[in-house]
Amino acid sequence: MAMAAFRREGRRLLLSPVSYNSSFAARSAILSYSELGPMGARSISTQAVRNRMKSVKNIQKITKAMKMVAASKLRSVQVRTENSRGFWQPFTALLGDNPSVDVKKNVIVTITSDKGLCGGINSTSVRVSKALYKLTSGPEKETKYVVLGEKGKVQLARDSKNSIEMNITELQKNPLNYTQVSVLADDILKNVEYDALRIIYNKYQSVVSFLPTVSTILSPETVEKESEAGGKLGILDSYEIEGGDTKAEVLQNLAEFQFSCVLFNASLENACSEMGARMSAMDSSSRNAGEMLDRLTLTYNRTRQASITTELIEIISGASALTGFSQSARATDNIQYRRYACMIKLQS
Amino acid sequence: MASTAAAVPFWRAAGMTYISYSNICASLVRGCLKEPHRSEAVAREKVHFTVSKWADGKPEKPSVRSDSPEE
Repeated sequence: MAMAAFRREGRRLLLSPVSYNSSFAARSAILSYSELGPMGARSISTQAVRNRMKSVKNIQKITKAMKMVAASKLRSVQVRTENSRGFWQPFTALLGDNPSVDVKKNVIVTITSDKGLCGGINSTSVRVSKALYKLTSGPEKETKYVVLGEKGKVQLARDSKNSIEMNITELQKNPLNYTQVSVLADDILKNVEYDALRIIYNKYQSVVSFLPTVSTILSPETVEKESEAGGKLGILDSYEIEGGDTKAEVLQNLAEFQFSCVLFNASLENACSEMGARMSAMDSSSRNAGEMLDRLTLTYNRTRQASITTELIEIISGASALTGFSQSARATDNIQYRRYACMIKLQS
Repeated sequence: MASTAAAVPFWRAAGMTYISYSNICASLVRGCLKEPHRSEAVAREKVHFTVSKWADGKPEKPSVRSDSPEE
């Protein structure tokens, strides 16, 4: 009679692992709250894994949201960037781009972003700036940095802070517009002495590709010198100048206007690249978070399953001590079967 | 920066660059627009950024340039 009752009881226990699961979960929660007992003594705490899963899930949510924001910002910036390319093209047609010009006073304008989490675009422009610094520096030469953006400032301040002339931040608080950039260009022109300004930025090609680019703007004196020396700038003499302005005046106005236009385009291109880079960076990080979450879930379920099995074995061996061997053997088989079934389900 | 020519334009004589001169002109043209277009165009001349000069490898106190389209 007693044996029959036990047998029934054992079967019921086996058939309802859910109730065990919940009671186990409650116990493990209590255990992990108080952190009592030696590690892994009886039941393995799943709290740590659960916390980890929660945090990974939150990070994934954030990165997904950032990707959406970057994508929507990118669309508006991209249109304006493509429109702004018309600003510098006439200048390049007229004055050409002379990256190889060799002058005494160089000013490197490095354009970076204020915010991070956008892949390697900031370090790319800093790296190119440093390379250009090495190229242009030499005896009796002077090279200075003008840094746009917080990230470039931080990176350049590390090892070449003595060459930084000025830095500009918070440029992108409002959407970039020409007035803003031209006021900034004016500020830069008033504060630095230059023979050649070299603007370094990431030119936007597509969402995943950005070209580090150097645009060179020559001072009016340098333009005159170069045009006298011939070459591409030699054709400047064939232009007829209207009005009472002299050639020097026209060149000075042109150089200033060219700088503001090129700077406008460059900062837009860089903003666009920043958004694109952030979008792809956030995309890959949410994918990574998803992969991590999958792995953690697998670990969590395995641990849970293992501890359920342990508990069941304990109970059944307790029961079999009372009822005899043959039954317990059958019960253990049953557990094994259940466990395999669960594992197959988990892995599929 | 000063032009060496004898007959400098009045704005350069006042110490302005071509950029600030053209910005004032642009602002005046924007002011001539009629209403729905005007506020739209005025919104495009918002200025905001922070400049700090560096001396001896250290940044000086940053100065904020904000909403001064006249300059």
